[in-house]
Amino acid sequence: MTALALPALPQRRVLAGRWGKALRGAAGVLLLLVAWQVSVPLVGLSSYFYPSPSDVVASFAELMRKGILPVYFADSMVRYGTGLLAGALLGVAMGVLIGLHRTVAVTLSPLLKFLFAIVEVAWIPIFVVWFGYGFKTIVLALVYVVFFPVLYNTLLGVRTAPQILVNALRSLGASRLQVLRYAILPGALPGIITGLRVGAGFAFRGLVFAEIVAAKTGIGYLIFEGTQTQQTARTIVGMIVMGLTWLAIDLCFLRPVERATIQRWGLTVDAEQRT
Amino acid sequence: MLRVPLAAAGVIVTVIMGWWLVAYVAAERKLASLQPLPDRGSYSITLDFAPERFHQQRLQEAGRLVEVRDRTVYMMDVAPTALHAIAGQYWVDKVARWEGR
Repeated sequence: MTALALPALPQRRVLAGRWGKALRGAAGVLLLLVAWQVSVPLVGLSSYFYPSPSDVVASFAELMRKGILPVYFADSMVRYGTGLLAGALLGVAMGVLIGLHRTVAVTLSPLLKFLFAIVEVAWIPIFVVWFGYGFKTIVLALVYVVFFPVLYNTLLGVRTAPQILVNALRSLGASRLQVLRYAILPGALPGIITGLRVGAGFAFRGLVFAEIVAAKTGIGYLIFEGTQTQQTARTIVGMIVMGLTWLAIDLCFLRPVERATIQRWGLTVDAEQRT
Repeated sequence: MLRVPLAAAGVIVTVIMGWWLVAYVAAERKLASLQPLPDRGSYSITLDFAPERFHQQRLQEAGRLVEVRDRTVYMMDVAPTALHAIAGQYWVDKVARWEGR
């Protein structure tokens, strides 16, 4: 009996642990919402200064009914996806190039270090002058944000790729492209994924700022416009949407891809601890 | 290993396709009585509420916005494809021909 019952126990414990964690998290959020709602009459300020959760819910419903939130959300996500993809591709390509060619590394390193020190916020005004308000400027700012973490992590990955595999492939007569395809790129993958995750986080923060400065749509613009038009509840809706969207991106895309990459490279213990 | 990202991507694609389909059907329904549409026409577009700046900006992308009265926006020089895109928005209540001023 005991022997039959034993295998089910860890699974049940894992499930109970997960549900327990989720419930505790939900309870924390609920507690915050109740405290917030209760504090509104006690504070006694107008909804412009201190909107209640019910004001925020009403504002969310209004933004949905008027079709504003879906469009702003879609605009933001298209900009974010494009910037992330372009920045990641550029970062990986440059990282591999610099990692494999000493001359390129020596030539570009000072320039890259110089550019790395200039935050994207400083570039946005000049991008606006060059490309105007909207898509191009925001995407360029995001590419800039994503590029550096991906580049440096790819570079690290390329330089720490298992030399024994590279040597083995070379001794078997593999071409440079085959060495890159079968040893260097897979070896650099954990670094690339780490860079992508860091870059994705930076880009998400950068998106809000870029949209505040250089857009007439988007969640960042909604956050800004809400306070400008004395509709603070809309600003809070924008903030909540940003937070939830990031949680969803991390949960559905970044974390599973990172976990899969780490598992693929035999670091399962670390991956388990992170979940 | 990548079941979650693939499932999430599938859900996103399905939602986008569904959204487009619903918008297309809604546009066809709202424009059924106006067929055939001229190359460039004048229309009154009635919303479910008084339009905000967001709606006016969206409508301006489709043609020349002439006037806003209560819940109705009057527009000129609207191409059939642009009108179709507008009519597909769920916040557009009805679209009618307008003789202009």
